Amino acid sequence: MVLKKFLKEIQSILPGISAKLTWTSEEGSYSQDMTGVTPFQMIFEVDEKPRTLMTDCLVIKHFLRKIIMVHPKVRFHFSVKVNGILSTEIFGVENEPTLNLGNGIALLVDSQHYVSRPNFGTIESHCSRIHPVLGHPVMLFIPEDVAGMDLLGELILTPAAALCPSPKVSSNQLNRISSVSIFLYGPLGLPLILSTWEQPMTTFFKDTSSLVDWKKYHLCMIPNLDLNLDRDLVLPDVSYQVESSEEDQSQTMDPQGQTLLLFLFVDFHSAFPVQQMEIWGVYTLLTTHLNAILVESHSVVQGSIQFTVDKVLEQHHQAAKAQQKLQASLSVAVNSIMSILTGSTRSSFRKMCLQTLQAADTQEFRTKLHKVFREITQHQFLHHCSCEVKQLTLEKKDSAQGTEDAPDNSSLELLADTSGQAENKRLKRGSPRIEEMRALRSARAPSPSEAAPRRPEATAAPLTPRGREHREAHGRALAPGRASLGSRLEDVLWLQEVSNLSEWLSPSPGP
Amino acid sequence: MAFAPMGPEASFFDVLDRHRESLLAALRRGGREPPTGGSRLASSSEVLASIENIIQDIITSLARNEAPAFTIDNRSSWENIKFEDSVGLQMVSHCTTRKIKSDSPKSAQKFSLILKILSMIYKLVQSNTYATKRDIYYTDSQLFGNQTVVDNIINDISCMLKVSRRSLHILSTSKGLIAGNLRYIEEDGTKVNCTCGATAVAVPSNIQGIRNLVTDAKFVLIVEKDATFQRLLDDNFCNKLSPCIMITGKGVPDLNTRLLVKKLWDTFHVPVFTLVDADPHGIEIMCIYKYGSMSMSFEAHHLTVPAIRWLGLLPSDLKRLNVPKDSLIPLTKRDQMKLDSILRRPYVTCQPFWRKEMEIMADSKMKAEIQALTFLSSDYLSRVYLPNKLKFGGWI
Repeated sequence: MVLKKFLKEIQSILPGISAKLTWTSEEGSYSQDMTGVTPFQMIFEVDEKPRTLMTDCLVIKHFLRKIIMVHPKVRFHFSVKVNGILSTEIFGVENEPTLNLGNGIALLVDSQHYVSRPNFGTIESHCSRIHPVLGHPVMLFIPEDVAGMDLLGELILTPAAALCPSPKVSSNQLNRISSVSIFLYGPLGLPLILSTWEQPMTTFFKDTSSLVDWKKYHLCMIPNLDLNLDRDLVLPDVSYQVESSEEDQSQTMDPQGQTLLLFLFVDFHSAFPVQQMEIWGVYTLLTTHLNAILVESHSVVQGSIQFTVDKVLEQHHQAAKAQQKLQASLSVAVNSIMSILTGSTRSSFRKMCLQTLQAADTQEFRTKLHKVFREITQHQFLHHCSCEVKQLTLEKKDSAQGTEDAPDNSSLELLADTSGQAENKRLKRGSPRIEEMRALRSARAPSPSEAAPRRPEATAAPLTPRGREHREAHGRALAPGRASLGSRLEDVLWLQEVSNLSEWLSPSPGP
Repeated sequence: MAFAPMGPEASFFDVLDRHRESLLAALRRGGREPPTGGSRLASSSEVLASIENIIQDIITSLARNEAPAFTIDNRSSWENIKFEDSVGLQMVSHCTTRKIKSDSPKSAQKFSLILKILSMIYKLVQSNTYATKRDIYYTDSQLFGNQTVVDNIINDISCMLKVSRRSLHILSTSKGLIAGNLRYIEEDGTKVNCTCGATAVAVPSNIQGIRNLVTDAKFVLIVEKDATFQRLLDDNFCNKLSPCIMITGKGVPDLNTRLLVKKLWDTFHVPVFTLVDADPHGIEIMCIYKYGSMSMSFEAHHLTVPAIRWLGLLPSDLKRLNVPKDSLIPLTKRDQMKLDSILRRPYVTCQPFWRKEMEIMADSKMKAEIQALTFLSSDYLSRVYLPNKLKFGGWI
């Protein structure tokens, strides 16, 4: 209900959009769906400039896509009627893996939402999903000139970071990091959009070192102002590009690289039941003053984000080391075999070896030996990434849920748009409709009638009781909770896999 | 003026001679069976063929898109060990094994190192040259990491191919020393005479190659520590109790020292005694000479001398001789763990007198070094303790 109210106010949080929005209830036209949530639609009028219309649609699409990233159970039907031609686009995901971040937000972890999937040739050398690392929450300070808001709680920033695409444990392509994408979210996982598209970068984020000390990783970051609105990916709020040095020029063979995803969740924690208006007030405060708040809280923000990025890149670094060690072992093995083969005086032995690998001479034999050795070991190593197996299991589970959700899906078809024409003087250009799914209520803040738990002393603790409260309050939300749990277990397996790599790095392997 | 006779009077060795007779009788009664399993001296062509077969198996696996692997006998598990009092600790014929896979993150490196050392052995055998384990390590110390890695892999290969290390043309320098009534010819023709007053001879690195051993010794004394060994040399022990042989492994004995003790016993059947500290570490070292070790159990037949007897320092001697309390040392926690470990070993059950001595140590919670005897008098060890022990049969 709170989220619905926020969506009514969508115009004020979409800077740059020139259309006027009006709220229209359509209860009389459509029957209620299975969840009991009343569908509604928004109608807005725009002038006849196609360019403006295109931009407005892209802005709205971006907003919807950002919501879906952290509220996968929400589905949007976005319809645009231009000159009588209706085009409909559905924004939503179907039974995709998520990671429950513990603050009521479930983050989509399929890589394809964040970067376009490149063609890696025959062997898939990257995991199909990201592995976010959740950082520790920090309290934000509010500048004096903003403190007049009379907030009775704290603003808490919780970062999460991941590499995308996520490397498998020992993929042979050691991609470098080429870009950073930052996504900002406010209370309830609502997207924060800080600026108009004409001015995409705010003061705080212009300085690339305000978040992370990139020199620590021998990276040089510059702001990336070339944002492409016309992609089917969720658009970052802030984007950095890695500036390649002279040494890296020779390595630009692989321009694809990896993207470091950084999610900044700003939430509001209070010892008292959070009122709707209070949430709304916090949201308004953030959209207008987040830059000032981040500047004020610079040291704690950087500390928390740096810690999180360190953890992600440490895994990356360990995987790289393990890969190098494997390659070195492979070379030693191949060279040793070649030494024995070429040194042998038994012609039957040499002939047998060459025939077995179908090589004409020792040089070809070496090439084939190295190739087949690498293929066999790579094949085994790729399987060490536990995602593929778990994903199959998860998808089967989600299929069962899909069957369960079928009635809801069929009821959506009743929401066909039949709006009429506008007056002669002003033409209707589009009428986006937004439908809330049942799961939306599980993401809702506690209603006033429920007593919110008192916030624990430790700032790290609030994530747990809130999550637990949601599960207790909404029995029907257990299903997505279980799916998230499976996803979380998978990440545990991933971390275990990475920690096993430490055995690679010990100088003397066990006897 | 007539010279004093060399060594003690003839009757000094009466008990020793009777002990030797009983050992020989036991040998005849035992009817030693030909050794089964373990490694043997193999010809060069046999070793080369074995290595080539391994390479062929690897390439065949690769051609079938299978990851090659080595199957290695597990040398660090007691379940692979059996005990026979005539042999000591030896590896069972069908023991558990470990797989060294080429495609496992944990073992891919070891797989490649085994291949590396196999290729080095191949060259050594082909060219009929020898290298020490140290030589092999220093060909690429960065790759191997440390000497222990090399040693373990060489032992694994020796165990896998069922050939002795010498057949692999790998030697190890020896830290052991030998002195006394012994002469032999080394493989390269060098004549060695250990009969020197104040100096000792280094244990040769090629025990299998020495020949024409000659001795009149009445006994062989294995001394645990170099310090004790040097003290006995300084006291001219070899001449005082001539004819005898003294040998030290300077602590835990290396392969060559153990091979030499074994060779002396096999060649001469002279009684062999140990002189070790009265502490768990000394007992452990004595057990290695007598019964062998778990990690080298696959070589038991070439390394163990079950006829060895414990001459001193016995825990019961400390009380009997009224060794001053000040010279005793409390057992550490580690000592007690080691003592418990030895008491649990299979060979202790057939050594009731050893068990009794170890229990005396456990009860008193005290240990003593041989140097504690200097509290009685500076040359007590060589002038009183050892002669009396040897004359009156004070061994167990």
